[in-house]
Amino acid sequence: MTLRSSAIGLALLIAGAAQAEEFKWASTTDPQTMDPHAVNSAPVLGFLNNVYEGLVRRGKDMRVEPALAVSWEPIGDGDGWRFNLREGVTFHDGSEFNAQDVLFSYERASGEAADTRSWFAPVSAVNVVDDYTVDFMMTAPNPLFPSSIANWMIMDQGWAEANEAAVPDKETGNFATLNANGTGAFQVTAREPGLRTVLEPFDGWWDTAEHNISSAEFTPIQNPATAVAALLSGDVGMINPVPIQDVSRLQGSDDVEVIQGIEARVIMLGFNHEADALKYTDDAGKPNPFQDARVRQAIAQAVNVDAILATIMRGNAEAASQLVSPAMSGYSRAHADRPTYDVEAAKALLAEAGYGDGFSFGLKCPNDRYLNDEAVCQAVVSMLAQIGITAELDAMPVRNYWPELREDNYDMYLLGWSPGTFDAEHPVRFLVATPNEEKKLGSWNFGGFSNARVDELLPMIQSELDADKRQAMLDEVTGIIQDEHVYVPMYVQPLVWGTRSNVDLTQRPDNFFLLRWVTIN
Amino acid sequence: MTDATQTPQSTPKTRFAKFWDSDFAWSFRHSPVAVIASLVVVVLVLAAIFAPLIAPYNPFDPATLNLMNGFTPPGTPNAFTQETFLLGTDDQGRDVFSTILYGLRISLFVGTAAVLLAMIIGVILGLVAAYFGGWIETFIMRVADVQLTFPAILVAMLIFGIAKGVTPPEYRNEMAIYVLIIAIALSDWVQFARVVRGAALVEKNKEYVQAARLIGRGSFPIMFRHILPNVLSPVLVIATISLALAIIAEATLSFLGVGAPPTQPSLGTLIRIGQGFLFSGEWWILFFPACTLLALALSVNLLGDWLRDALNPKLR
Repeated sequence: MTLRSSAIGLALLIAGAAQAEEFKWASTTDPQTMDPHAVNSAPVLGFLNNVYEGLVRRGKDMRVEPALAVSWEPIGDGDGWRFNLREGVTFHDGSEFNAQDVLFSYERASGEAADTRSWFAPVSAVNVVDDYTVDFMMTAPNPLFPSSIANWMIMDQGWAEANEAAVPDKETGNFATLNANGTGAFQVTAREPGLRTVLEPFDGWWDTAEHNISSAEFTPIQNPATAVAALLSGDVGMINPVPIQDVSRLQGSDDVEVIQGIEARVIMLGFNHEADALKYTDDAGKPNPFQDARVRQAIAQAVNVDAILATIMRGNAEAASQLVSPAMSGYSRAHADRPTYDVEAAKALLAEAGYGDGFSFGLKCPNDRYLNDEAVCQAVVSMLAQIGITAELDAMPVRNYWPELREDNYDMYLLGWSPGTFDAEHPVRFLVATPNEEKKLGSWNFGGFSNARVDELLPMIQSELDADKRQAMLDEVTGIIQDEHVYVPMYVQPLVWGTRSNVDLTQRPDNFFLLRWVTIN
Repeated sequence: MTDATQTPQSTPKTRFAKFWDSDFAWSFRHSPVAVIASLVVVVLVLAAIFAPLIAPYNPFDPATLNLMNGFTPPGTPNAFTQETFLLGTDDQGRDVFSTILYGLRISLFVGTAAVLLAMIIGVILGLVAAYFGGWIETFIMRVADVQLTFPAILVAMLIFGIAKGVTPPEYRNEMAIYVLIIAIALSDWVQFARVVRGAALVEKNKEYVQAARLIGRGSFPIMFRHILPNVLSPVLVIATISLALAIIAEATLSFLGVGAPPTQPSLGTLIRIGQGFLFSGEWWILFFPACTLLALALSVNLLGDWLRDALNPKLR
């Protein structure tokens, strides 16, 4: 009897487990924090888009659609934007969403401690009109503002203040670093940084759920081969990314599928423009050669991007000429040519700049952030060695990498940039504009590059309504960036996800993986 | 006259003959495992020492690498450059054969240096503990016991992490190898200390030690001139086995990405790089370094086993 009843119990348990669609997925990078205002990076924002929501959100085709705001309209003649908020929305802890939360989240996300500060550079004031209406006043007409805040997520004022997390803390962390309370389709039920994060559907979500997941578990798997093995064995339902070298193998398997696209992310080399002296190797303390545009051009001409694409990327990526890919709006067709690969020209440029005998410096590189990032950096090291420059490579995980860059601990570094607005103005604002705390500009311009003309053009680009005039100004800025070789754009990173064949999902070009579009058959 | 001319020649002969006839050499000659293992070790050590002469390329000089040579299979010409490599190339276009030779150097250097350092620390602490006894012995041996409760690799990683934090970033890559040696040595000294203490505890009460004490020799001369030579044979055995373990420990640390820098790969680093290409069919990047590591560690281990048997009077 007991045996039979336990056998029935077991059978029920198995049947129950099969019905409840548990979903597991893995990626190389663990989101550093659960705080949507503390770190402005794709792994964090992409993950939290499942948990938190903004006033607007992006659909499967990247189009902006209403989320916590039902509609929005311009105020006056470019004075600002009015957002009409959705009524009856609750946070995961049950408290109600209203205009006070929007104001609070604005203050939180634009404060000095926030990494998302520069999103609000064009905002002069935020006024609560009534419980479900908020006005955003602009310093200058800003037609792109609503689509630029799709990743600005709304946090509950009462929850944040009760848990002493009213201000984001990216260094030491606070309650909001480990816990989340959004309005999104999923809520965080367990969070073990670096190990696993468990999400469960939020019953009180305002929108209709398209997914059939009963619980989802995210595991960071840093080693790409381990991730592929986990996908093949069915331990996880989805991995992002699939190592480039394994694409053809996975395509040959019936159990898994490879979903490929071109990501918006451009991988580039950055320089320390500001520092007067080199910081690393035996040449530490000597004058910084990267202040000379000829040296930067020499590096651009010494890097054989085609070879990187042919071998390390196995033909799955496209070379980049500027800070955005051709698929972005505002891409400058007038500047579509890369510097040619020419070792002799690079050597001549170095000699002209007074570095004919070469020099040595430190190259910083992440090893778990971009596809084959460390291998690309190693290849750059050997290509630079061919023009007589010795680069000492220091590759590290991203959780150490961003702090190193913020503290200016590099001579040259690798960076990937995906414009959150899908527009060419975005990287100019973050990567090229002179860093300015007050104006919230240049927050990822680690090297401190500064050009008066770029700074002058940027606000004009932001407020220009005429598409042709705007493009002309973007062309000019792109030209300056190319002539000055502010960065060395190398290639547009491919987007390669792997799924089990019974999993249906949507791959967005910003590499965000949203659980609400996942169905398991 | 004839006698006088023969003597200088016969003396070295007799010495060699003496060694050849000794129990030790006899046991060596009659153990095929020991002969083969030592042959493998000798070949690998020679290959490592003369790597710059044997290796067709210098994999540590990035200027000689051509990325287009990447992923060339062993013995077949590359699709772009038509160059052929004996054991193929890795993702950066490095010749795997040359890289193994240079990686072997790092692995052997780190292993030997770490074992020597561990031996020096362990032998001194073990002798001191046994000879002086009392609270000194209790202190040293309890520290050793506590350390034994942690896996050696964890201790090594801990030391490596601390060292990385305290060394100035500009010296980190240069220091990595030495930090690795210290980390492995500090995780390995306990073995030596315990064995030496055990053996020295027996020796210190023997008559020759008491005699030395009676004629007024100091503590340290007695420890190092009288006791040490008599406890050396177990130390030799442990040193050999530790060498194999240290080589594996270095490979493990490098495999985990905390050891040798990627631009100066040791065998462990090579295996880590190669592991990423296991599924995609570039098996040679992992296979050859792994075989080399296996051959090295296995031979050293077998030699250690044989040494233990040969030096153990009870097994004779």
